[in-house]
Amino acid sequence: MGTTQILFWFLTALALLGAIMVLVSKNPVHSVLWLIVVFFAISGHYILLNAQFLAIVNLIVYAGAIMVLFLFVIMLMNLNAETEPQKSIWMKFFGVATGGLLLSFFISFIVSSIDLKNKTAQLKEGDVGLIKNLGKVLFSDYVIPFEIASILFLSAMVGAVVIGKKD
Amino acid sequence: MDSLQLQALLPFIVLASASVVIILLIAARQSHTVIQITGFLMMCLVVLAMWYVRDVLPRAIMPLLVVDGMAAVFTGLIVFCVLIIGLFSFIYFEEREENPKEYYILIFLGTLGAAVLTISRHFISVFIGLELLSISLYALIAYLRNRNNAVEAGMKYLVLAAMSSAFLLFGMALIYMDTGSMDFDGIAKQLQTQGHSPALFVTGIGLMMVAVCFKLALVPFHLWAADVYQGAPVPVTNFIATVSKIGVFAVLVRFAQAVQLQSYHFAVIIISFVAIVSMVGGNLLAIKQQNIKRLLAYSSIAHLGYLLVAFLPGNAAGIEAGMFYLFAYSITLLAAFGIVTMLSGRQADADQLEAYRGLYWRNPLMGAILTVALLSLAGIPLTAGFIGKFAVLNAGVQQQLWLPVIVLVITSVIGLYYYLRIISTLFAETQVIFPKEKSLHPLFVAGTYGALLVLLILLLGAGIFPSAVIDGIKNFLCQGFRIINF
Amino acid sequence: MNKLVYLVPLFPLAGFLINGLLRKSLSKGIIGFIGSAAILASFVVSLVLFFQVKGSGAAIPVEPLFTFINADTFKIDFAFQVDQLSSLFLLIITGVGFLIHVYSAAYMHEEPEQHVGRYFAYLNLFVFSMLLLVMGANYVIMFIGWEGVGLCSYLLIGYWFKNNDYNYAAKKAFIMNRIGDLGFLLAVFWLLSKLGTVSFNEVFPQVSRLTPTDITGITVLLFVGAMGKSAQIPLYTWLPDAMAGPTPVSALIHAATMVTAGIYMVARSNALYSLSEVAQHLVAIVGIATALLSATIAIKQNDIKKVLAYSTVSQLGYMFLGLGVGAYTGAVFHVMTHAFFKALLFLGAGSVIHAMHHEQDIRNMGGLKKHLPATHWTFLLACIAISGIPPFSGFFSKDEILAAAYAHSPVYWVLGVIGAAMTAFYMFRLYATTFLGQFRGTHEQEHHLHESPKAMTIPLIILAVLSVIGGMVGVPEVLGGHHELHAFLAPVLTTETHHEISHSTEYALMGISVAVAAVAIFIAVSKYSKKPELGEPAGFGKVLADKWYIDELYNNIIVKPLGALAGVLKNVVEKSGIDGAVNGVGRFVKYSARQLRLLQSGQVGGYILFMVLSIVVLFLLFWNQAMITQFLNKIF
Repeated sequence: MGTTQILFWFLTALALLGAIMVLVSKNPVHSVLWLIVVFFAISGHYILLNAQFLAIVNLIVYAGAIMVLFLFVIMLMNLNAETEPQKSIWMKFFGVATGGLLLSFFISFIVSSIDLKNKTAQLKEGDVGLIKNLGKVLFSDYVIPFEIASILFLSAMVGAVVIGKKD
Repeated sequence: MDSLQLQALLPFIVLASASVVIILLIAARQSHTVIQITGFLMMCLVVLAMWYVRDVLPRAIMPLLVVDGMAAVFTGLIVFCVLIIGLFSFIYFEEREENPKEYYILIFLGTLGAAVLTISRHFISVFIGLELLSISLYALIAYLRNRNNAVEAGMKYLVLAAMSSAFLLFGMALIYMDTGSMDFDGIAKQLQTQGHSPALFVTGIGLMMVAVCFKLALVPFHLWAADVYQGAPVPVTNFIATVSKIGVFAVLVRFAQAVQLQSYHFAVIIISFVAIVSMVGGNLLAIKQQNIKRLLAYSSIAHLGYLLVAFLPGNAAGIEAGMFYLFAYSITLLAAFGIVTMLSGRQADADQLEAYRGLYWRNPLMGAILTVALLSLAGIPLTAGFIGKFAVLNAGVQQQLWLPVIVLVITSVIGLYYYLRIISTLFAETQVIFPKEKSLHPLFVAGTYGALLVLLILLLGAGIFPSAVIDGIKNFLCQGFRIINF
Repeated sequence: MNKLVYLVPLFPLAGFLINGLLRKSLSKGIIGFIGSAAILASFVVSLVLFFQVKGSGAAIPVEPLFTFINADTFKIDFAFQVDQLSSLFLLIITGVGFLIHVYSAAYMHEEPEQHVGRYFAYLNLFVFSMLLLVMGANYVIMFIGWEGVGLCSYLLIGYWFKNNDYNYAAKKAFIMNRIGDLGFLLAVFWLLSKLGTVSFNEVFPQVSRLTPTDITGITVLLFVGAMGKSAQIPLYTWLPDAMAGPTPVSALIHAATMVTAGIYMVARSNALYSLSEVAQHLVAIVGIATALLSATIAIKQNDIKKVLAYSTVSQLGYMFLGLGVGAYTGAVFHVMTHAFFKALLFLGAGSVIHAMHHEQDIRNMGGLKKHLPATHWTFLLACIAISGIPPFSGFFSKDEILAAAYAHSPVYWVLGVIGAAMTAFYMFRLYATTFLGQFRGTHEQEHHLHESPKAMTIPLIILAVLSVIGGMVGVPEVLGGHHELHAFLAPVLTTETHHEISHSTEYALMGISVAVAAVAIFIAVSKYSKKPELGEPAGFGKVLADKWYIDELYNNIIVKPLGALAGVLKNVVEKSGIDGAVNGVGRFVKYSARQLRLLQSGQVGGYILFMVLSIVVLFLLFWNQAMITQFLNKIF
C-alpha cells in the first residue's frame, strides 16, 4: 500500500466520520465544525486526483467563507440545543431503517457491476484539474454553461435579497 | 462557436438580458407599471427573436446545447405561458404591499432555466438549467414573506428540491461512471457497446427518474406539491404548474429519445407504475379538497400522470400526443389560475371554494372561462383537454398499454366528480356580498381580460380545430426544424 | 344542394349564441321566439333532407367540413352524414324539439328574463349536440355529440341550482353518463387501432377484418356507452333523479331524444352487433331486465314525473330487447312512437304541475278531468298508446319488437308481455289517480286550477295526433300494411334479422298481448279511480316504492368506500399540509428561528422519509421486474 492509498483511506474515513458527526451532533455549532472537517477531507481527495484548483476553491469558498457565515448566523440567532424539538423514536427508527436499506441497495448495485475497476479514475493522473486546462475548457467548450452559471448566481442573489431585506 | 450558433441562441440571450434590463430599471427607480410593460415587451422580443432565427435551426452548440424543432416548440410554449403569467402578475401584485419589482427578475431567470432545459443535450446543462429554475422558485415561492404559508412553502421546497437535486447528481455520476460520457448521444453510443454495466446504468437512471418525478410532482414524490401550490403567490403557482413542468418534461423527452429509454423494460415498468399511482393518487386526493389551489395541485399531479401515459410508448405519436397534452394542460391551467388571480384580494388569495360561490352571477365572463377550463381539465369534447386526452389514449392504445389506459379512463371519471363540484359552486346562489373589484389601471384590466379571452379562444379553438395545432407541432418537429441526433 | 345539411345544426347553434350572449338585453318573448324559431328552421331543412333521401333512396353525400384530427396512421374528419336512419332521427329531434320549445316558452314565463335566456340557450345547445350526435359521419363526431348532450343535460337538470338536491341529481346524471361515455371512447380506440378508421362508411364494409374477440369487445364497450346514455341496468338510476329538471327538459332530453341515443348508436352499428352473439344476448337480456325492473318500480311511485321516468327506462329496455333480437327497425320505430307519446305524457304532466302550482304528488291530485279538459284527453290518448292498444302508435312498434322476440326465444316474449301488462297497469294507475275521482288537493289549489295557455295545449294536441296515427308508417304485413318504415330503413339496417313466423301465430301473439294490456287497464282504472292508495306503501310495495334499494346499494358499495378512501388519504397521507402552526409576523431573527424549527418538527422530515421509502420501493420493483411482468402478462 503506497502513501497515496493510505492517504485515500484516511481521508475517506475522515470524511465519513465528519459527515456522521454533522448529523448526530446536538449542538449546531459542533455540526458546522464537523462539516468543515468534511470539506477538508474532500479537498484532500481533490488533491489526490490532481485537481489542485478545485481543492483550493473548495477550501476557500466552502470551508472558509460559507461555513464562517453559517457560524455567524447560528451564533447570532442563538440556536442552542434546547430549541431542537425531539422527533419521535419511530420516526428515527424508520429513518434509519429506510436509509440503511437504500444504502445497502447502492452497495449491492455497485458491487454487482462488472469491471468497475477499469473505469474508476486513476489517482494522480490526468491534468484536467489544473488551472490552466480548466480555464481553457471553461472558456471554450463550456462557455455557455459558465455564463448561465453566472446568471444562476444572479438569481440566488436576487432571491436572497428579496427574502432578506427589510420592508 | 460561430455566428450561426450565436444566432440560434439569440432568443435565450434576449431572455437572459430581460432580467438584467429589469434590474437596471429597478436601479433607476422606475414604477411597477414601467417594469411590467418592459417585461412584456421583452418577452415579445423573445418571440420575435425565435421567429427571426427560425432559418438557422436546427443547430447544435456542442457539446452542451442543441436548438431544434422540439426545443422551439417547448420554448415557445414556455414563453407564451410567461407572457400570460406576467400579465396576471401585475393585477396580483399591484394590490399587495410588498414591492413587486424584483419578482419580475426572478420570473425571467426561472424562465431562462426552463428554456435552457429544453435545449439541453448534456448533463451539465440539464443540471444548471434545473438549478436556475429551482433557485428562482425558492425565492418566488416565499416572495410574499409576510404570509407565513409562503415562507413555510418556500422552505419545504428548498429542502426537498435540494434533496432531489442530490439524487439527480448521484444518478448522473453513476451514469458517467458507467458510460464515461455526459452528453446524451455519447451515452447512447456507449450503451450500444457491450462495455457498460447494466446495474450502474439502472441505478443511475432510477435516481435520475426520482429527481424528474419530483420536479414533475408525480406520486410518490409529490408531497411538496399541495403545500407549495397553496403557499406560493398565485402567479407563481401558475408558473410552477406550467413553465417548470414543460421544461422538465422537455428534457425528459430528449433524454429518453437519445438513449431509447422506453426500450428498457425496467424503465417502462417504473414509468407505468409512477403514472398509475399518480393518476389514482392525484385524483383521490383531490376529491375532498376545499382549497382550490390544493385541488388544482392534486389535479395537476393526475394530469402529469396522464402525460406519462403518452410518454410511455416512446414513439413519434407518443411525443406528439405528449406535446399536445402539455399545450392543452398549460393553457387550461393558465386560464384557471388566471381566474384565481383575478379574484384574489389584498389580504389573501381566493383559494377557498367559498370565494367562488355564485361567481357566474357576479361575473359571467370569469365564471364561463373557469367553467370551460374545468371542463377542459375533465376532458369534455370541444375543449382542448378532450383532444389532449384523445391523443394520449390513442398513443397508449396503439402500443397496447392496456393497464395505464384503463386506469386513465377510470380515474378521469373520478376527476369529473370534483371538477363538477367547483362548477356547481360557480352557479350556486350567493348571499355573500363581495367587495367591488379593485380600481386598477384600465389598460391592465383590459389586458388581463384580453389574455383570459385569448386563453378561452385557444381552449375552444384547439378543441374544435385540433388538427391546426397538431399540424403546427408536427411542422416544427418534422419539416421546419428537424430533431437532430449526432 | 348538400350545403343544406350544414344548416341543420347551424340554426340551433346560432340560437344558442344569440340567447346566450344577449340574454340580458332581450325580452322573454323574443328569447322564446328565437329559441323556437331556430329549431323550426332546422325542422324545415330536415324535412327537405328527409324527402330528398326518401326520393333518391340513398344517403346524401356530404363533404367533410374540415379535418378534425390528422395523425400519421389515421385521419378523422369533422364530417356529417345524412342517410335514412339519421334523417329520421333528425325529424324526430327537430320536430318534437320544436313543439317542446314552444311549450317551454309558455311554461317558463314566470322565470326572470336572465334565467329564461340561459334556459333557452342550453336547450338550443342541447339540440345542437343531439344533431351532431345523429349526423356525425364517424364515431368521434358522434362521441362529441354524445358528451355534449350529457353536458347539456347536466346544465338543464341543474337549472335551479339553488336547490342542492337538483345539483346533486345533475352531477349524478353527468357522472353516470360519463362512465358509459368512457366505455364508448375505449371502443372507438379499439376500432381505431384495429381498422385505422372510425368513419361509418369505412368501418362497416371492413368488419370482416376484425376477429370475433375484437367485435365482441368493441360491441360490449359500445353497449356500456349505451347503458349510460339510455339508462339501462346498471347505470339507470340517474334518469329518475334527473326529473329534478324543468318538465319540458324531461320531455325533450329524458324521454324523446337524448336517452334514445343509445338505441341510435346500436342501430347504427348493427353491422358489428350482428356478428357478435354474445353482445346481442347481452343487449337483449339487459334490455328486458331493465324493462321489467323499472316497470315494477313504476307501479309504486307517487311522483307523477317519477312514474314517467321509470316508464321511460322500461320502454328503453324494450327498445334494447328489439336491438338484441335483431329487430333494428322495430327498435327505431319504437323510438319514434315513444318520442311522440312520452313527450306528450311529460308535457301533459307539466301542464298538470303548472296548474297545481308545482305539486307533483299524485296523491294530492284527482278529478282533474273537468278542470283540464285538453290535458286530460291528450294524456288519455298517450296512455292508451303506450299501453299498446290498437290502432294507436305504441301497439305497432311494441308488437313488432315482441314478435321478433318471440321468433328469437319465447321466453323473451313472455317476459315482454308481462312487462307490457305492467306498463298498462301503472300508466292507468297514474291516469286514474290524477284525472279521475275527487280532487284531493288544498282548497287554494282547487281555486287556481286552470287549463294551460294555448301555447302549451297546442303542442299537446299535435303530439296526441301523432301518438294516435304515428304507427301507420309501420303497419305489419299481417295486418294488411306493407311497413313503409321497414322499406325506408332497409339500406342502413342491412343486418336486420327476418323472422319467419306464421300469420296465425302472429295473430295469436297480438291478441294475447292486447288482451293482457286491456285487462291490466281495466283493473287499474277500476281500482284507482274511486279509491286511490293514499297511505305509505308497506311490505313488498315498500320495496318497490323504494326502488329495490338500488340507490342505497350503489351508495354503499361505490360512493361511500370511495369517499372514505379519499377521506383517509386526505387525513392520513396528506395530514394537515400547511399546518398554520406559525402565526403572526415576527422579526427576522425570531421568525427564521421559528421557520427552522418548523423544518425540524417532523413534517419535512416525514416527507423526506416518504421519498426515500418510495425510492426503496422503486428499487424493489426494479429487482422483481421479471416477476411483475409475468404477473401482468397473466392478467392481461
